[in-house]
Amino acid sequence: MIVTAGPADVGLCSRCVLPDTFPGIIFDDEGVCNYCHRALVEQKLAAQREVARARFDQLLEEVRGRGTYDVLVGWSGGKDSTYILARLLKEYSVRVLAFTFDNGFVSKQAFRNMEKLSDSLGVDHIIYKGRFDVMKRVFNASALGDELYPKSALGRASNICTSCMGLAKSLALRLCIEKNIPMTAFGWTPGQVPLASGIFKSNPQMIRKMQEAASGPMRRLVGDEAVRPYFLEEEHYERPERFPYNISPLAFMVYDETKVYEYVEALGWKRPRDTDANSTNCLLNSYAINIHLDQARFHPYVAELAGLVREGRMERAEAISRINEMPSEKVVNFVTDRLGVPRYKSAR
Amino acid sequence: MTAIEIEAHIRDFLTNNFIFDPSFQLGSNDSLMENGVIDSTGVLELIMWLETNFDITVGDNEVLPENLDAVYSLTNYVQRKLMAGMAALS
Repeated sequence: MIVTAGPADVGLCSRCVLPDTFPGIIFDDEGVCNYCHRALVEQKLAAQREVARARFDQLLEEVRGRGTYDVLVGWSGGKDSTYILARLLKEYSVRVLAFTFDNGFVSKQAFRNMEKLSDSLGVDHIIYKGRFDVMKRVFNASALGDELYPKSALGRASNICTSCMGLAKSLALRLCIEKNIPMTAFGWTPGQVPLASGIFKSNPQMIRKMQEAASGPMRRLVGDEAVRPYFLEEEHYERPERFPYNISPLAFMVYDETKVYEYVEALGWKRPRDTDANSTNCLLNSYAINIHLDQARFHPYVAELAGLVREGRMERAEAISRINEMPSEKVVNFVTDRLGVPRYKSAR
Repeated sequence: MTAIEIEAHIRDFLTNNFIFDPSFQLGSNDSLMENGVIDSTGVLELIMWLETNFDITVGDNEVLPENLDAVYSLTNYVQRKLMAGMAALS
């Protein structure tokens, strides 16, 4: 949906969509923010994307046939990860294991999409459903604010998303090591993952440090036994040669959201009607957006949307409409009821 | 470039790209990962920036917490790399 920016863009950068409430933001005389001034120009980005694409092609040839599968794709059921999954299967002919982390709030339509497409695309698919009592405690603690993360973490995503994605990424890594899968791919958009992070090899020592940082607060919250299956153990670190390459193909492919929708819809994927404007698979996101808006005073997707606008991958007016569209109250109520917390009304 | 200048560059980069909040106080020895300043993708951004900004190459075997996980260790690491580069030229 394209809308014309009107009064709702007051207080936003005149080039991207970062608001005056975004931490550290400064505007010049023309209302352009300091983040826009620092962004790479498109010409430089295009050259870097080309280098990354060539590196990706080369890596695929290196890893092909090395393990039980060539690539593990983190498949949320949303449009972007479905797009990546389908393109890897159809255009690169790699052996893929699709992996879904069910946080208890995946839209039923997203599951229907996955069931249909895993059959039609011909892909093995593992769904890992987390214990809901554990999910509930983790998400409720995340929603409270700084119990699990420092305030600085809010700059990039809502705390609820940070928790969920931390668990999902760690499970995917664990699975890659256990099943000897040399590459893992996620459908992060260019606004979520900068080009510099589009391809990297997991480094065991750095991963250990990050896992300690991420798992510590969760262990204290829900207990060691409940958290243990999600994080790496000594036996995993003893196989450093099995640590996979991490790939975010959308960071270096030409990303056009309209074309992504066209591509996946042609495969039979249907957009869920119960998710918010920024998600095509998760209902929890609606609640996470409201909480984040009240805690941080800016939309959790604003940094991602601003990145897409800066790179010319999304119309500014479309990004503004996404920021201004509040999640459905009915869905937010469903989430809070399921989490066992009082119904939530955003102050916005 | 002095250690003070290197540290100032590093702090500026971290504040503008990861911390965002100028009031956030980050001690020189505070772990960037434990404090949620950088995650796995952030480390890559940091490495790219170090290579571009200081004209150094960060080797795969140097991607270690003891080199990259605090302002102090980052400053020392960059200084060592710059000095090694100059020694190689002389």
